[in-house]
Amino acid sequence: MQPELAIGLPAAGSVCAVALRARPRAAIAAGAFLGLSGLAAIVLSIPGRTSDQLGVTLSLSAESRSLLIAAGAALVLVVALAPLLVERALLLTWGLAGLAGMAAIAAATSIEVIILVVLALAVLQAASPGGRSFATRLRGPVLAVALLALAAAAARSDGPSILSRLSAVGLVAGLSAALGTLPYIHEFDPEERTATSPMPWMAFIGPVLALAVFTRARELVPAEGAALGAMVIGLGLLNMVWGSLASWRTEGGAAAWHYSFMADWGLALCGFGLAIADGQRAALLVLYGILLSRLPLYLWSRQSLREKRPNDRPINLLAAAMLAGSAPFAGFAARVLLLRAATQVYWPLALVIGLGLLLWLPPSLRLGRSLGLPRGRQAWGVGIALAVNVVIGLYPQPFLSLAGL
Amino acid sequence: MIQAAAFAAWLGAAVIVLSDGRRGLALGLALIAVAFTILAWAGGEHLAAAAILIGGGVAAIQRSRTGPDVWGLMPPGSTSRLVLSIAGGLLALWVSTSVMTGPGAELSFAALSVLGLMGARILTESEHAGAVLTALVALALSVAMASGLADAGRGPAPYVVAGLIAFGVSLIRVAEPNAA
Repeated sequence: MQPELAIGLPAAGSVCAVALRARPRAAIAAGAFLGLSGLAAIVLSIPGRTSDQLGVTLSLSAESRSLLIAAGAALVLVVALAPLLVERALLLTWGLAGLAGMAAIAAATSIEVIILVVLALAVLQAASPGGRSFATRLRGPVLAVALLALAAAAARSDGPSILSRLSAVGLVAGLSAALGTLPYIHEFDPEERTATSPMPWMAFIGPVLALAVFTRARELVPAEGAALGAMVIGLGLLNMVWGSLASWRTEGGAAAWHYSFMADWGLALCGFGLAIADGQRAALLVLYGILLSRLPLYLWSRQSLREKRPNDRPINLLAAAMLAGSAPFAGFAARVLLLRAATQVYWPLALVIGLGLLLWLPPSLRLGRSLGLPRGRQAWGVGIALAVNVVIGLYPQPFLSLAGL
Repeated sequence: MIQAAAFAAWLGAAVIVLSDGRRGLALGLALIAVAFTILAWAGGEHLAAAAILIGGGVAAIQRSRTGPDVWGLMPPGSTSRLVLSIAGGLLALWVSTSVMTGPGAELSFAALSVLGLMGARILTESEHAGAVLTALVALALSVAMASGLADAGRGPAPYVVAGLIAFGVSLIRVAEPNAA
């Protein structure tokens, strides 16, 4: 029953928070109770065990479960230590809706259900008030839905081998469109609220979605593993270079953060594409970093970005070091694992990735400064995010074991 | 009957592509819902057929009650949409009958043509939220229908989820800049 509870409880929490929006304290209490109960259901679920209580087969893999736990922890962190100007009840409402959707994506055993959940999340997000039009906000996710559905249909049909090759292309392109990575970058408005911007696709829902799509892709087109891996690595390198350069050179601070997520996704995609244990481990550590550190830091930097007051205190340099993936942070362990995996598969690739990693430094310094001088809850939050990242960097094995790696 | 249903699904998608008024959009969605129901029923998925019919039917009725009360079929400047509808249908027909060699060409044609045309409708629309919402419902239904292409059916889950999405989308109200 755990997968059902993992989906249902956060969804109920989100609905309660909406229903009680006139009384923010009650909304937060109800949402937090149901959300934490859902998180407990995720933690207590047994990986790989299928559940069919509602007539729908659901099952959480160890990797998906670990990312759901990380996403839940990130939500707890950003809601508990939200900046003063951020409406906590709203953040909780959207976070719980996202968590419920992610649990559904992780637990679904058919790609069509995953695609439909993505569509439902996209509609919910696009229908909320925001700066961009309804149709504009739907474009990226709808393109993803159409590409993934066409790819699944092509994979399931009998026909020439080109169909399964096209299916592999569609799956990779569809995932890229859903995440908003190059070449399907979602339109980004720096003034838009984070929950309704493209950020949740890249930084919150994306990790679980990518894992689910890659798992299903290996089942749908088993003969195209090499082609799939090559495409994902190519896309990863492209995002790595473009994301880090754009994050460095772009004028807007919020846009720089947006591109930095893209660069991190480049690393994760390279890890997934390498399709050996070290590559998977590297990808997972990068995704932990995105969920538990980069996303919270982005949220806490928003106020400072608006007020244009960058800072060069030691805390900013520490944050920059973490964002650049230097030791002893999680990004360093991820990079070592990625280089080791690339060396095992094809050593020139390790050289290219190694050179690409140098591009992280200038944008990370800029992003670290953009945090300003964290005070109060924000300072606690930055401290916790840095500490969590150091723990993952120094002792990655327990976190990888949680994912069965 | 099955061939007629597959053709009706394409026709419904084409009407949604070519229409901006609530009557045209509702008619297109109703055609798709009925066609998909027949195809799902013919495939032995009775619960799936019911889910599609209820979800699509409710969405079509809701659409017929919301937005400008006109047909809005082929407004000026819709030549490109007409070309898209015909070319999309022909491409889906070729892929489902010549490239895909397995059984179920009717289902492939219906699912692929609706998927492609609805995707294009949403990606190219920037003003009419009603048209986008209608296309979203049809897109969800077509994703569920595409799951029927699997050798061993995927069970009713995708259809029920698509039906729920159709119902949920029909309840959404989005401010339309050009609404009357």
